[in-house]
Amino acid sequence: MILFSVFSSIALVSSVMVIRAKNPVHSVLFFILVFFNTSDLLILLGLDFFAMIFLVVYIGAIAILFLFIVMMLNIKIAKIHENVLRYLPVGGIIGVIFLLEIFFIVDNDYIPILPMKLSTTYLTYTVYAEKIQNWTNLETLAMIGAIVLTMHKTTQVKRQDVFRLLRMFRKTQE
Amino acid sequence: MESAPICVYLVISLQPSLILIGVAFLLVSSSNLAYPEKLSTYECGFDPFDDARNRFDIRFYLAAILFIIFDLEVTFLFAWAVSLDKIGLFGFWSMIVFLLILTIGFLFEWKKGALDWE
Repeated sequence: MILFSVFSSIALVSSVMVIRAKNPVHSVLFFILVFFNTSDLLILLGLDFFAMIFLVVYIGAIAILFLFIVMMLNIKIAKIHENVLRYLPVGGIIGVIFLLEIFFIVDNDYIPILPMKLSTTYLTYTVYAEKIQNWTNLETLAMIGAIVLTMHKTTQVKRQDVFRLLRMFRKTQE
Repeated sequence: MESAPICVYLVISLQPSLILIGVAFLLVSSSNLAYPEKLSTYECGFDPFDDARNRFDIRFYLAAILFIIFDLEVTFLFAWAVSLDKIGLFGFWSMIVFLLILTIGFLFEWKKGALDWE
């Protein structure tokens, strides 16, 4: 109980600090802290595999992508206008919608609770195999899309022509 | 899960990091050593003209995206490897199909030279 309250409170405070921090790199660091605490909450639930996957995928990949975005956009700290109230109407409506969604899920009898032991992996690769197929198609598409969008003609990479080297080596042997 | 050794390990490994940062901060934060003039950037005596940042190379972002894709693939491989006895032949071949589709994307990326840096 103590651990749950510690982790959840730090997660909530860090998530508020993500939007309130002046330095955008501090925002990303608080973002990483949110994921650390969420991973700890998952450990408390007994889902250790998901906790480690959270660490590896969310922090190790997604937070790094956010960090690259912050590095790419040349955000100077002094020039950010602190006009918070401008975004209050739309942001407030979206925030209320998210909160209502949480209240729909908690204590709802229509959502089936999957047993979380070993049958998840069994279900993943047999019953839900088509869903994973959708994921692989999406990932390949994402790969191809990312490469098409971001590849520019790089300068000539120095390569070794192995067969030419072999032929030249054979000539030296004669 | 046996998390007590991990917690002990975390606490012990946090101590050298905190000691390093804390002692460095404490030793340097006196006003003789860290006043604003000394901390600002040096441009031959002039005030700094502009930020010292280089232009961000987009290839870092591409490397991170490719990392996340293959990382998720490895995640699925972990769960698949643990449960191979339960999912049988169908589960095995379904995973091989997933790997083949991702290999197509990998081949495209290799041939395009997306990860080449000069």
